[in-house]
Amino acid sequence: MDDKDLIQKAKKGDTLALSELLQQNYSFLINYLMKVTLHPQIAEDLTQETMMKSIEKIQLYNGKSKFSSWLITIATNLFIDQQRRKKREKNWLEQEQALRKMKWNAANMYEEWTDVLDVLARMNEEIRMSIVLKHYYGYTYEEIGKMMGVAEGTVKSRVSNGLKRIRKELEKHEES
Amino acid sequence: MKNREFENNHSMLNEESEWAVKELRDGLEKLDEWHPVTTPNLQWFQQQVASEKKRIQKMQWKALFSFIFVAVLVLSVVIAVVYHQPILFLYFQLAGIILLPFVLNRTRKKVSNE
Repeated sequence: MDDKDLIQKAKKGDTLALSELLQQNYSFLINYLMKVTLHPQIAEDLTQETMMKSIEKIQLYNGKSKFSSWLITIATNLFIDQQRRKKREKNWLEQEQALRKMKWNAANMYEEWTDVLDVLARMNEEIRMSIVLKHYYGYTYEEIGKMMGVAEGTVKSRVSNGLKRIRKELEKHEES
Repeated sequence: MKNREFENNHSMLNEESEWAVKELRDGLEKLDEWHPVTTPNLQWFQQQVASEKKRIQKMQWKALFSFIFVAVLVLSVVIAVVYHQPILFLYFQLAGIILLPFVLNRTRKKVSNE
């Protein structure tokens, strides 16, 4: 059964079809959230929340974008809301702890940590998300704008400024 | 001359950006390697969907019952007031009409601030 049939059945209330759709997109969703949150626990919690929200809102999915894009739109907005609710200081501490754990994990696998992840982690979440969506997932500025509920120009400037910062900081790391 | 200089700067900028984008992609790909995802089986997803649907249904019934309860309560109060003291009903209506613009104005201000 292809995606279109599954979506149609899921919208009609078919539990099995919706379950299959969610299963097919599970790893894509959690990997996306891992990249934008840089925090394994938050990524897992948000994946769960996104799935619950998609079950509730499946009737509103209009099929204009891919199902996976619809899921990451929900996930993006849930993450933005969560970050706005949290205090900045607490956020920073949590992020640092998560990074330390991830570095430890990488070291355990005899892998070298990449500086670009440190730079990304220090960035504002909305800038980080715009960069990941543009340069890793290849969405257009317009699509990202719609996903995040901001103007296309805002996304362009976020991506451009973010990329400049990445370049500068990586150069600094290389020099030192 | 100036144009060529601009083009050179621009292409250098693009090359630098490409380098940063490549670093970014490589770094993010590593994340997938370090955190492999195990997708649960279909039964797990079916359980999640079924229990969430049940929760939503329960919530909708709750909302419907509270709406009906409030509606019946308001209607009963209105009917009781109209039958027993019609003048009080008129006072309520008048107070409502006078207060309405203030309430609307306040809501509009709140929305524009957001």
